[in-house]
Amino acid sequence: MDLIASPKSLISSPIFNYMKFIAIKRELGLDRGIAVQYLSWLNNLIHGNFGSSFRTGRPVFSELIKVGVNTLILTIGSLIVTLLIAVPIAIVSSLRRRPFLSWGLTLFAYVLSALPVFWLGYLAIYIFTKKFNLFPFLSAGAVSGSKLNWLYFLLPIIVLGIGNGSISEIIRHLRAQLERVLSEDYIKAAKAKGASIWRHSFKEGILIPVTTMVAAKTPFILGGAVVVEQVFNWPGMGRLAWQAALDRDYPVIMGITIFAAIVVHLGRLSQTIVFAFVNPQISEKGEDA
Amino acid sequence: MSEPILKVEDLRTYFYSYAKEAFIRSVDGVSFSIKKGEVLGIVGESGCGKSITAQSVMGLVTDGPGIISGSILLTYNGKTINLLEGLSDYVSVKTRRKAILEIAKDVTGWLKRSEILMRGVRGKVISMIFQNPKSALNPFIPVGEQIAESIMLHSGISAKKEAIGAAAKWLERVQIDSPSMRLYDYPFGLSGGMCQRVMIAMALSAEPALLIADEPTTGLDVTIQTKIIELLKQLKEELNLTILLITHDMSVIMQLADRIAVMYGGRIVEYGLKREIMDSDSFIRHPYTIALLNSLPTVEEIKMKERLRAIKGDVPDTIILYRGCRFYERCDLKNERVKKRCKESEPEMIEIGTGHYMRCWLAEE
Repeated sequence: MDLIASPKSLISSPIFNYMKFIAIKRELGLDRGIAVQYLSWLNNLIHGNFGSSFRTGRPVFSELIKVGVNTLILTIGSLIVTLLIAVPIAIVSSLRRRPFLSWGLTLFAYVLSALPVFWLGYLAIYIFTKKFNLFPFLSAGAVSGSKLNWLYFLLPIIVLGIGNGSISEIIRHLRAQLERVLSEDYIKAAKAKGASIWRHSFKEGILIPVTTMVAAKTPFILGGAVVVEQVFNWPGMGRLAWQAALDRDYPVIMGITIFAAIVVHLGRLSQTIVFAFVNPQISEKGEDA
Repeated sequence: MSEPILKVEDLRTYFYSYAKEAFIRSVDGVSFSIKKGEVLGIVGESGCGKSITAQSVMGLVTDGPGIISGSILLTYNGKTINLLEGLSDYVSVKTRRKAILEIAKDVTGWLKRSEILMRGVRGKVISMIFQNPKSALNPFIPVGEQIAESIMLHSGISAKKEAIGAAAKWLERVQIDSPSMRLYDYPFGLSGGMCQRVMIAMALSAEPALLIADEPTTGLDVTIQTKIIELLKQLKEELNLTILLITHDMSVIMQLADRIAVMYGGRIVEYGLKREIMDSDSFIRHPYTIALLNSLPTVEEIKMKERLRAIKGDVPDTIILYRGCRFYERCDLKNERVKKRCKESEPEMIEIGTGHYMRCWLAEE
C-alpha cells in the first residue's frame, strides 16, 4: 500500500527510471506495509532516532534542534510581547478606576488581536523595508553589520506577539481572575493591616491566571510561528515544517509534530509546577484555579 | 477618663444604586466616641450598617459611587486628625441620563490624599479583625509570615528573622500551642478558632491604639466563640486595649463592652454605658433594645422549651426616606398617645441619663 502523495512522485518526476525508483523505495523502506512502517518509526523514536530527512538525508533530530532554538527564541519572545501588552491592560481595567481609559485600551487590544498574523507581517515588512528602507528584505541575521539588525530580528517577534490572537483572551481571563481576587476578604484584611494589596493578590490574581493562559496558548503561538517564519524567512521549525510539507518529507513532518507536542506538554507541566509552588493546598484547590 | 481616641460625628455612608436610581443609606448620621481603654460595642441586626461604620473608619469603602460625609477624629500621639478632612460632601455619582451631584470636584485627588493618610493609620493606629477568619487570612502565605509582615510594616523591625521571632511571641500571647511550629502552617491547615487567634495576633502585633473587631465570633463554633471572647477580655486587661466591637450577638456585647451603641436602620437608636442599658430593668430603654434583649432566651425558657421571641418583621429598607421613626413598623410599645408622632416625625437623640441617649418619643414623656 502506498501513501497517496508518496515521495515517489517527487523523486520520479522528469526522467522516470523504474529500477531506480524501486531501489530508492526499498532503500527508504517504503515497500513495507504502512503498519510496519509506523511500528518501525515508533521503535526508532523510542530509541531516540527520528529518522532521516528524505530531502537532505540528514538525521531529523539534529535538524530539529538546530531550527528549534530559533523557534524557541521567536515563541518565547513573542509570548513576552503578548504579556507586556495584555497584563498592564488587564490590571488597569480590573481596578475600575478609569473606565474610559480601560475601555479604550481593551478595544485597542481586541482590535490588535483580531489582525491576522500574515497580514500584519507583510504590513510590517512593507512599512520597514519599502517605506523607510531600513533594511533589505532578507532573513534574520543575514544583514549582519547593519545597525538595524536588531530591529529586523525583533520585528517577527513583535508581529507574532501582537498577532497570535491571545492578547484579548489573556486580558479577559486575567481581568476576571484579578477582579475576583481583589474582592476577596483576605485582600480587604491585607489592606486593613496596611499591607500592599498587590503583594497579597499577586500569586492568586496574576501568577496563576498568567501561567494558565500561557500553557493554554502555547499551541496557538506555535501555529502562528509557522506563518511568521514563512513571512519573515525566519530559519525556524515552522519554516522547516512548511518546507517539509511541500516536499512530502514525512520524517521531518512527524518529527516536528512530536516536537511541538512535547513543547505543548512542557507548557502544561510548567503550569502544574507553578501551581504546586504557589498553592500549598494544590490537591484541593489547584483544579479550579 | 482622658480624651477620646476616636470621635465619629454625623458619619454618613451612602451607596448609589444604579438599578433603583437612589441612595442606599447604610450609615445615616452616626456619632459616637471611644476613650482609651474602653470597649464600645455596636450592636444591631444584620444590615443595620454596623460593618459599614467600621469600614468607613478604616477608609475601606472608597470604591464605587456614593457619599461619605461627617467627621472621624482620630487622636494619636497627642495629635488629632480628621480622617475625612477636606471632604464636606463627597459625591461621585453619575447616572446614565445626566450627571448628577458632583459636589466635590476633586474626588480623585481626595481619594489619593486619603489613601496616603490611611496608609499611616491602617494597621499601625487602627487595626481590624474580621468575621470568617479563614477567608480573611491569605491562603497562600504561611501565618507566621503574615504576622511578621505586619510587624515589619509597623514596628520598625526590618529583619525578617527577628519579625518571625516576634510573631512567635504573639502566637504564644494569643494562646496557640507550640507557636514555633504553627508559624509555618498555612491557614487551611488551621481551625477557624486558630485562624481568629492568628488574626488577633496579627492585628495586635503592631500595638495599635484602637482595635476594630468586626463580628469577631461570627462563623465560629459556639465553644470557640466563648474562648475567643475570653481571649479578647484577657488581652484587653493585659494590654489596656481600646476596642470598637461590632456584633449582632447580645451575649458578646454583655461580656465585653463597657459602652453600647444600638444601631437600627443606619442610625444609633440608643447609646450609653452598659450598666445603664443592660443591667437594670428600672431604667427606660429603647423599644428596639428591649426587643433585642427579649430575643435572647433565658435558661428557664430553654428548659421550658418555649419558642424564641424573634422581632417581627424585617430590617427597614434604607433606600426609602423615612419621615417617622424607623422602628415604627416593628415597635411593640407604640401606644395610641404617641402613635401619630412616631409615624410622622423622627425623634432626636434625647439624653435620659448621664451619657445615656435614646432616639424615642416615649423617652420624652
